[in-house]
Amino acid sequence: MSDERHPETLPASYEDIEFDNNAQRLPLVLCLDTSSSMAGVPMEMLNKALQDWTRELHDDVSLSYSVEVAVVTFGGQGVTVWRGAQPLPPQASVSPFVPAYAFQAPVLTAAGVTLLTEALELALRIVAARKTELRTSGLQYYRPQICLVTDGLPTDGTGHLTNAWQRLVPVLTNDQAARRYRLYAIGVGNISDMGAQVLEALAPEFNARLHGFPFRELLQMMSNSINAERRGAGEEIQAKIFADFRTQRSAWDA
Amino acid sequence: MTAPAERGVILDGRLVTLGPRPLKGGGQAAVFPVVGHDETVVKIYREAPGAEQERRLQRMLNMTPLGGRPIGPGQPPELAWPTAVARSREGRFLGYAMRRFGEPGHVQLVGLFTRAQRLRLFPERTDWRFMLGVGWNLAFMTARMHHDGLVVGDFSSNNVVVDADGFVTFLDCDSIAFTDSVTREEFPCLMQTADYAAPERLAGGPATRRSDDFALAVLIYQLLTAGNHPFGGVPHDSESETTVKDNIAASRSYVARPGCVIVPRSVIDPTVLPPVLLDLARRAFGPGVTDPAARPGAAEWLRALDEERRLAKVCPDRPRHSYGSHLPTCPWCARAAVTGHDVFNATVSIRPTEEGRQSSGARALVVSLAIVLVIVAVVIVVALSLRN
Repeated sequence: MSDERHPETLPASYEDIEFDNNAQRLPLVLCLDTSSSMAGVPMEMLNKALQDWTRELHDDVSLSYSVEVAVVTFGGQGVTVWRGAQPLPPQASVSPFVPAYAFQAPVLTAAGVTLLTEALELALRIVAARKTELRTSGLQYYRPQICLVTDGLPTDGTGHLTNAWQRLVPVLTNDQAARRYRLYAIGVGNISDMGAQVLEALAPEFNARLHGFPFRELLQMMSNSINAERRGAGEEIQAKIFADFRTQRSAWDA
Repeated sequence: MTAPAERGVILDGRLVTLGPRPLKGGGQAAVFPVVGHDETVVKIYREAPGAEQERRLQRMLNMTPLGGRPIGPGQPPELAWPTAVARSREGRFLGYAMRRFGEPGHVQLVGLFTRAQRLRLFPERTDWRFMLGVGWNLAFMTARMHHDGLVVGDFSSNNVVVDADGFVTFLDCDSIAFTDSVTREEFPCLMQTADYAAPERLAGGPATRRSDDFALAVLIYQLLTAGNHPFGGVPHDSESETTVKDNIAASRSYVARPGCVIVPRSVIDPTVLPPVLLDLARRAFGPGVTDPAARPGAAEWLRALDEERRLAKVCPDRPRHSYGSHLPTCPWCARAAVTGHDVFNATVSIRPTEEGRQSSGARALVVSLAIVLVIVAVVIVVALSLRN
């Protein structure tokens, strides 16, 4: 017996986001590199940082009031969208966004190729879809944030370097000028000069090359920046928060 | 933000050590714990604050706001007033110390605005009447501050904390606007939070009692509707982002002008507010948006809330359901029956079996209501025919 108001495929947390209150939402997409170069310690650190950040997110009454999180990973044979800790099948109809208080971090493993371009395109699509979804249901939103993290260069499905990412540059420039979202592009580990240049081209204002794998600091910066967005802070404040973060150095740095 | 390079700061001539990580970091400042002093926190400005900010804090240390008034047993102070200026070892002004009002004892007001947080962070019996009581305390605090010549200025659900008894404390006292009674120097409020800023503040105007009245009205409305913002909703045919700020600036509130925006189907009907309170809300979110003088003041809210808290009804059917005396039946039960969402109680599992049971329960209710209606109709028809 099924009730039309409660389709069986609708998970409880999804229902909550519609029903709990009419708070203005802030969609956040973590777009994370899980290709083979991240294997070992970096991946362990990323998983640990995700767990810690998730706990902090739950404890932060104010952040968890309006933030909703989706995760996109690129590694293995392709690109994966996660709804909290669960990978979604490619044609899934449910939204990958989970309200912060119900978010559970996925446990990620590293392998395969670096489909950065495709992952970023997918991130843009889910952000656009979510905005439409929120708007049509009468919910307001702050400017979404997308946080891209990689330690390498974009490849194609066979693992060969590709310039396909260049097709994204005009799209990103246009979208950011229209304030559709704010993209952060962060290089970690031993990312090459060329890798850093790609990130600079993708996110001219909010790119950084970090030594080591300071994922915890990175996620905290995202939280600070979201807090500032919710306070109605302008671009200067966001730039300051990012600059503060960028000057930090990981203990991993020799 | 990390702690200043040297984590040692001077408070009242004494060297203390700040914890390595801030408890809270915003755009302008971060709040740090003090090693070995759990009752104290230190707010450190991100950028070197100006001489004016230092004079402001020095002046505040000599003031006793809301002083000499009785507070009940167990009631925390209403203001997290500065207790000392924080300086570097070289004497540079860095920020200030205040009493710590942290979790679990003190929760940001926004914690009352979602069910999950209410159930997790507040006493089990937290209900609508409690929310109303918190609104009363908020109005009381505001009225007292206004009486003492203080303007809250940056008034939001983030910088007010609530304890388990519903007592409220205002946290960011360094942004309060006041005039030095001796030098007549004016210390304006330079901070604001978009969701609670009156249009004249969004346009760059100074913080006033009237702008406090606007924020107070929004906060009380949110408390009385379990968290709904009166300027939520998206204008019809909107193609791009609309924020709460936009709706405030354009005077679009579904409370004052029903139908002016698309609201989520989950939004609680404004009529859950008792008529007197709804009138005040409609004044604040209707004419009061553009005309600051039309907004109800803190004292007016106080009188209206006072009346209602004595009259609130308790639902006999479900726990944590209380509601205004103007309603014939429990609005929270009615809503749960229609949407499956109980504002004050955790939703039962929606596994298919449970769901079946729930909807058959709802169906049974509908059937029995229909039977009652038929009987009523028959009685009326009989009565009418008898009169003829």
